[in-house]
Amino acid sequence: MLDIHTHPVMIKELYERDPDLEKRINDAFGFYFPAQPLKGYLLEMDEAGVDSAVLLPIDATSAHGGCIVSNEQVAELVSQNARFIGFASVDPNLKGSAKQLYQAVRQYGLKGLKLDPSLQQFYPNDPETAYPVYTACAELQIPVLIHMGLSWVPNGLAKFADPLLMEEVAQAFPQVNFILAHFAWPWINEAAMLAIKYPNVFLDTAILYSGTPRDALKRVLAAQIGLEVVERSLADKLLFGTNFPRVDMRRFTRGIKDLGLSPKVLEKITKLNSHKLLKLE
Amino acid sequence: MKSIIKRFEIQTRNETEFIDITQTVHQFVENSGITSGIAFILSLHTTTAITVNEGLPDLELDISDMLEKLIPDEGVYHHARFLPSDGQMAVNAPSHLRGALLGFQCFFPIEQGKLFTGSRQTMYFVELDGPQTRTWAIQLLGE
Repeated sequence: MLDIHTHPVMIKELYERDPDLEKRINDAFGFYFPAQPLKGYLLEMDEAGVDSAVLLPIDATSAHGGCIVSNEQVAELVSQNARFIGFASVDPNLKGSAKQLYQAVRQYGLKGLKLDPSLQQFYPNDPETAYPVYTACAELQIPVLIHMGLSWVPNGLAKFADPLLMEEVAQAFPQVNFILAHFAWPWINEAAMLAIKYPNVFLDTAILYSGTPRDALKRVLAAQIGLEVVERSLADKLLFGTNFPRVDMRRFTRGIKDLGLSPKVLEKITKLNSHKLLKLE
Repeated sequence: MKSIIKRFEIQTRNETEFIDITQTVHQFVENSGITSGIAFILSLHTTTAITVNEGLPDLELDISDMLEKLIPDEGVYHHARFLPSDGQMAVNAPSHLRGALLGFQCFFPIEQGKLFTGSRQTMYFVELDGPQTRTWAIQLLGE
């Protein structure tokens, strides 16, 4: 299994080398759980049956004065363990963000771009701020994993994360693959519409708003979207992501396995779709 | 009367895990210099437990199965929501309830400088929401 959506925000070793990181994560990301050793991240993956995990940084320099884990820190973690796949993040509100993305991807071998419009405070369909970054993604041939829908960060604004903002982006950049995180809950029908229509729009499963992962996945994917729709129209467009450590990987993995998907589609969602998108193997 | 407290940090590896701490407790008591008193063994977490039983792998499995049967993972619980104070989804009600069922501490008397236990009594630190870094402690009271 490949978890496309994890945040390395409670790793003790990073806190020890970057004393300001914990405060930034507390204040800007709204995450207050005590740090755990890096080994704990890998043990959680083992216990959940997750083979590899994408590590997502967020560059929130203009909105919050720093990064919620930097590209360099992600690169360092990736260099320490082959089970980690690193994404880069840049701040679209800053001039030179596209150039910075080229450097991060080429220097560190990072495999995609993470954006969080709610946290970073930009409109993802803004031609002035966001489009230069997407142009760089097109040239670098990397996917964009972009936060959509409910934001748990204290000052996060959902107006920046409406999936309908992404329709014109998907049209303007057909060569860039966009992964709309969290199935854009509560705008799940809009998100499903985009993923069904546009070949370059994908969704991840990190749906977290109430109840256990098993409850939320069943409610959204089975009861509201419909498993038959997932099987017929989203089998190649849905990617397994947990949003760990906002929720533990173990229970999320059980939730996805208990959905009642066919084994073939379950394998696509939990592994094959992400491998294809990230050009692995 | 003396009071001695010692903390022990461990890294658990599994969601449910029985870690035998018996020898650690015995040795700590015997090296403490306290000949008469009481030893309290406690966990500092709410999704772990301290329990005493016969130290056999099959019993560990039976206790684990009993916990799953009494408090199933797929049950419906109130504690299944976003917890703003943690910034996390609080979806581990079964871990809390299993901890409450087993209890968070045990104690034994100290007699003639040794822990007074039955020969088959094994003390376990029980992980119920691992893997995590955990802390358990011993407090000795006596002379």
